[in-house]
Amino acid sequence: MNTVNLEINGKAVTATEDMTVLQAARDAGFTIPTLCYHEALTPFGGCRLCQVEITSGGRTRLATSCTYKVEEGLIVTTDSEPVIRARKIVMEMLLARCPNVPLIQDMARDFGIEKPRLKKIKDENCILCGMCVRMCAERMGVSAISFVGRGIHRKIDTPFQVQSNVCRTCGACASVCPTGAITIEDITSNVPVPIPSEFDTVLGTRHPIYVPFPQAIPNVPTIDKDTCIHFLTDQCGVCESVCKVGAINYEQEDEILELEVGSIILAPGFKPYDPNYIEGDYGYNRMPNVVTSLEFERVLSASGPYQGQVMRPSDGRHPEKVAWIQCVGSRKAEICKDYCSSVCCMYATKQAIIAREHDARIHPTIFNMDIRAFGKGFERYYVSAQEKFGVKYIQAMPSPMVRELGNGNLLLEYMNEDGQGKTAEEFDMIVLSIGLEPSEHTKELAKTFSIELDDFGFCKIPELEPNIASSPGIYVSGAFSAPMDIPESVMNASSAAFLASRDITEARGTLVTEREYPPERDVSDEEPRVGVFVCRCGSNIARVVDVPGVAEYAKTLPNVVYAEENIYTCSTDTQIKMAKIIEEHGLNRVVVASCSPRTHEPLFQDTCREAGLNKYLFEMANIRDQCSWVHATHMPEATAKSKDLVRMSVSRVCMLEPLHESPSPITKNGLVIGGGAAGMNSALGLAAQGFETVLVERESELGGNLRHIYYTNEKESDPQVLLKSLIERVQNEPRLTVYTGAEVKGFSGYVGNYHSTIRTSIGEDVQVDHGIVILATGAVEYKPEGEYLYGESENVMTQHELEERIATNGIDAGELKSVVMIQCVGSREPEHNYCSRVCCTAAIKNAIKLKDANPDVNIYVLYRDMRTYAMKELYYQEARKKGVLFIRYEPERKPDVSQADGKLKVKIFDPVLDDEVSIPADKLILSTAIRPQPDAAEFSSKLKLPLTADGFYMEAHMKLRPLDFVNEGMYLCGLAHSPKFISESLSQAQGAASRAVTILSQPHLMSGGVVSVVNQGDCVACLTCVRVCPFNVPKINEDGVAEIEPAACQGCGICASACPCNAISVQHYRDEQIMAKSAVLCS
Amino acid sequence: MIVGERKPFDEITGMLNGYKKVLILGCGTCVSVCMAGGAKEVAVLASQLRMDSGIQEKGVEIGEETIQRQCDREYIEPIVEMAKTYDVVLSMACGAGVQLLSDMLVPTPVLPALNTSFIGICEEEGVWAERCRGCGDCMLGITGGICPVARCAKTLFNGPCGGSVNGICEVSKDTPCAWQLVYDRLKALGKLESLEEIQPIRDWGPSSSGIPRGVYREDMAGVAVESEGSSK
Repeated sequence: MNTVNLEINGKAVTATEDMTVLQAARDAGFTIPTLCYHEALTPFGGCRLCQVEITSGGRTRLATSCTYKVEEGLIVTTDSEPVIRARKIVMEMLLARCPNVPLIQDMARDFGIEKPRLKKIKDENCILCGMCVRMCAERMGVSAISFVGRGIHRKIDTPFQVQSNVCRTCGACASVCPTGAITIEDITSNVPVPIPSEFDTVLGTRHPIYVPFPQAIPNVPTIDKDTCIHFLTDQCGVCESVCKVGAINYEQEDEILELEVGSIILAPGFKPYDPNYIEGDYGYNRMPNVVTSLEFERVLSASGPYQGQVMRPSDGRHPEKVAWIQCVGSRKAEICKDYCSSVCCMYATKQAIIAREHDARIHPTIFNMDIRAFGKGFERYYVSAQEKFGVKYIQAMPSPMVRELGNGNLLLEYMNEDGQGKTAEEFDMIVLSIGLEPSEHTKELAKTFSIELDDFGFCKIPELEPNIASSPGIYVSGAFSAPMDIPESVMNASSAAFLASRDITEARGTLVTEREYPPERDVSDEEPRVGVFVCRCGSNIARVVDVPGVAEYAKTLPNVVYAEENIYTCSTDTQIKMAKIIEEHGLNRVVVASCSPRTHEPLFQDTCREAGLNKYLFEMANIRDQCSWVHATHMPEATAKSKDLVRMSVSRVCMLEPLHESPSPITKNGLVIGGGAAGMNSALGLAAQGFETVLVERESELGGNLRHIYYTNEKESDPQVLLKSLIERVQNEPRLTVYTGAEVKGFSGYVGNYHSTIRTSIGEDVQVDHGIVILATGAVEYKPEGEYLYGESENVMTQHELEERIATNGIDAGELKSVVMIQCVGSREPEHNYCSRVCCTAAIKNAIKLKDANPDVNIYVLYRDMRTYAMKELYYQEARKKGVLFIRYEPERKPDVSQADGKLKVKIFDPVLDDEVSIPADKLILSTAIRPQPDAAEFSSKLKLPLTADGFYMEAHMKLRPLDFVNEGMYLCGLAHSPKFISESLSQAQGAASRAVTILSQPHLMSGGVVSVVNQGDCVACLTCVRVCPFNVPKINEDGVAEIEPAACQGCGICASACPCNAISVQHYRDEQIMAKSAVLCS
Repeated sequence: MIVGERKPFDEITGMLNGYKKVLILGCGTCVSVCMAGGAKEVAVLASQLRMDSGIQEKGVEIGEETIQRQCDREYIEPIVEMAKTYDVVLSMACGAGVQLLSDMLVPTPVLPALNTSFIGICEEEGVWAERCRGCGDCMLGITGGICPVARCAKTLFNGPCGGSVNGICEVSKDTPCAWQLVYDRLKALGKLESLEEIQPIRDWGPSSSGIPRGVYREDMAGVAVESEGSSK
């Protein structure tokens, strides 16, 4: 297309010949107000606000810029006095017509008009811009509305002023109306049906073109073909017209990609259970105030449909009495959902607490069968929900027949906990704690990959070979194998990644291409030469902030030698241009005023490097998040703040100095501490990935607790076979060096460079250098000396001891008449406030064994909550079917055990019978706790690792980094982390190996850059830095001053802020660099 | 270590009232370590005073300096001339430092910015506890390393008093009973029998209740005098 040269406000502008003056002026960065212009519609010249002065052929006049096409040699003035005067008169007239429309009021105020001089003509909302009419006619092809009447009677209406039957209720007219004058009900009797938002469940709505959810990857809009007018009628296409970068492509089709891969991980996740009428839905779908837990999650979310206010859907009232009903779609054999969904007890507890935190008037009640708070730290959370937040737990399942009262409240009926009678209780809102089921397409997936599924559609994996599907090379992670919580999913995913990468170890790194950069320019002797790049971010920033103004302002700042604005500073072509400008103008400092450094700093730093500039000579001003987004309604102030931020960034960038990162070598060996199931599996994992590893076990034999486990609930699993195979593989693995009867005596170093001293069984000290550490020191079974006659009667034993006797024929089940098992011995008590996770399942395992051997034996399990989560619930069911009796007890009324004439007797209060029961017992089996290693405190301080309140090792993040320690290069797995099953230990061990390999497989680690440095002359060795560092990096060295190893420093800056002598500073964030910003802010 | 604590800001501004040129002088030893009077604290107080001066339009000029120790002449000497150019010196040292500084800066007045709290230890970051009263007659050897002078509210030498409940002092429920600690420690050391020995009434002569105390090391003091003499 031909280009045209014209002059706007004295600036030479090039435009294409089909452009209007308005488009050319806006592209050149000039602001022209409009009310009737829309990129997707034919220009109309209706509002007259866009008037500019046009000089063409020697004649100057006013013209509406939206309708005036550009011409060669045209001279345009957008801000001359006659232009302003003309616009002002138009504005006064608009204000006289629409005195109560906020947009008109605001615009008038910008022109300095508070009150119109003209008499108020009418009190209207409509300014007759005709955007709605044009939108309906031109884009929707419907023409349901048009202008009718003349003069002051002119208005927008339907033909014959009756409700239109051609209107599709698409709402396009209302969406473009600048003043909110359109109501769909005036146009048609058809009722618009909002599109429910999948993310906000059914509580919110979305558009046909939408970003699926805030964290979507990729975070770009997608078009819903089923509701998009363009796909339904071939009309509209507005999005294509307004998208400045031409990203809309209606022709895009699904593509089939063929990839050659060495291994596959399946992680299709789960689907939330959908409550329905047939299966008992507690009125869901029919009663608006019955919601699922996922919907309630959105209610609680600040970005949710109610902006985080706890409101109920029927009337927006704040509910006070809220009931959660557990096990909706779980633990229910009659609907083929026999399994426990594992996560609902805790998410209901979390929601109850958060709801209370949002609104203290809320009284949460959680109806449940058992509260399964079996995860790490969960028991404490559950206890705090009751004690701190007043959450009420009622052990009863209400009837699914819910009655809705006239005010929207809901009446629930449930059996009283004492078994005596029932209660009808009114609630404002009911939340259904829905379970997890396999996602929809898993059956097809299973067929495609020829893998087996279980009865419920979850992927079948062998208990003792976690993550391994029934087809070779195919691995499974997350809730596809069974319902699981976030930490389990994360560990499990690392484990699957381990297996998948183990198969293709040889190919590691073969597809990596190294990026090459030009040599770095030495700018140390140069005066600062700053370049400032201000971003419009399309209209994201420019809509609110006067971007050209900010760029012009930047030019006036000291040391700034170049400033410009860009539509998208992050686009590839702008990046290339930026690098060129840096070189051409000899810039030695760069400021980008755009969005968040969190997402874009690395990109811009990379551009600096491309231009031969050290990447630390760069600074960002976030004028999007901090200006245009948060001050969208305060445009002049947002611009002023943007200028402040740019001034601050320019000031700081001048103070910055180049920093260099240097490669530091990695010792490519591993150290695994602990030779139990987890430790052996981790060590084998590291070896399988090609890394020499030292395995240290302090006992004389490998195996740890696995040596005492003889069977599991699964018939096919044999822990002793696993034990033998692990030991055999460890002993035959040439990359492993094993020390048994040995201990880690000394430990020092940091990621990539650890040094340990191992004292071997013969008392020799061996020095080992290693790049990573995996801690798998295990835990021990609690021996309850003095409790329930343990140690006094030979008939009282722990579950482990019973298992050992059953396995070695040390007990004759046929002789037994009555066996009592007591759960939670040493667990879930104030001083040991955690659940030991495995004991419920262990009790059931042994009870079934005894019942299978002698169906006549009476087995009583005295429990508090049966925590047989996920598929373990099936064994609980089996035990009940086989006649094992379960009696609940409260911690306040623990069972009473006595012995007379060698006969044991257990007395227990049964809440259902409301009476005390006395049970004679041949054997009393105690389900005792798993305790941390007795020397955990001492050993953890040697390794500088933190412990939890219960004495287990503390990971970097409970949910998101369950396998890592805060100290880089250190990982944990197995019982040292918390009580768990063998399968979980194995999976965790593989996961830890996978995490460790992320370090060991790197060619080297980069150290330096943003790290703390000590000016040792000022150091008084006060130890403050040593104490405050969360990563244990600072040390007082042999010279008696603090020393910080750059390779280990994480650059958090805590030491620098705490140092009482100002002897420590964080590079790139030195005091003077920070002060440079505040100094110019205040000046 | 001597532990100090900065005085309340209002008290400091009250003392400085009327002075136009103030030098804040930090001390790089004990009070740096206990985060009360080192370079960082000097900078923080200076910044606070500048803001105060700005707000109240006092027009006060603030100088900052930190020296190794204010309880030794040799460290003070290099800054004497500079310090005397100020109207007043605000010392962030302990009481000993403030006094020596005052002696050396006459006629420039020296004011204390800290309260000297005690001789103690750092229990954890930000937590300090008293351990020694400087009584001049140490008996830690008998009490298993736990001082009844500093840590028993009643300074008993034959404790406990009988008011201790579950190892907590009856005077303050936040304070462990020192004699319970002594008992536990001696038990751990296997020296409980030393408790059976009755401690006689103590001679408080060497303690701080009388005239100011001094220590005279004949050998060292002599050396200093001799070398001074010989250099002359």
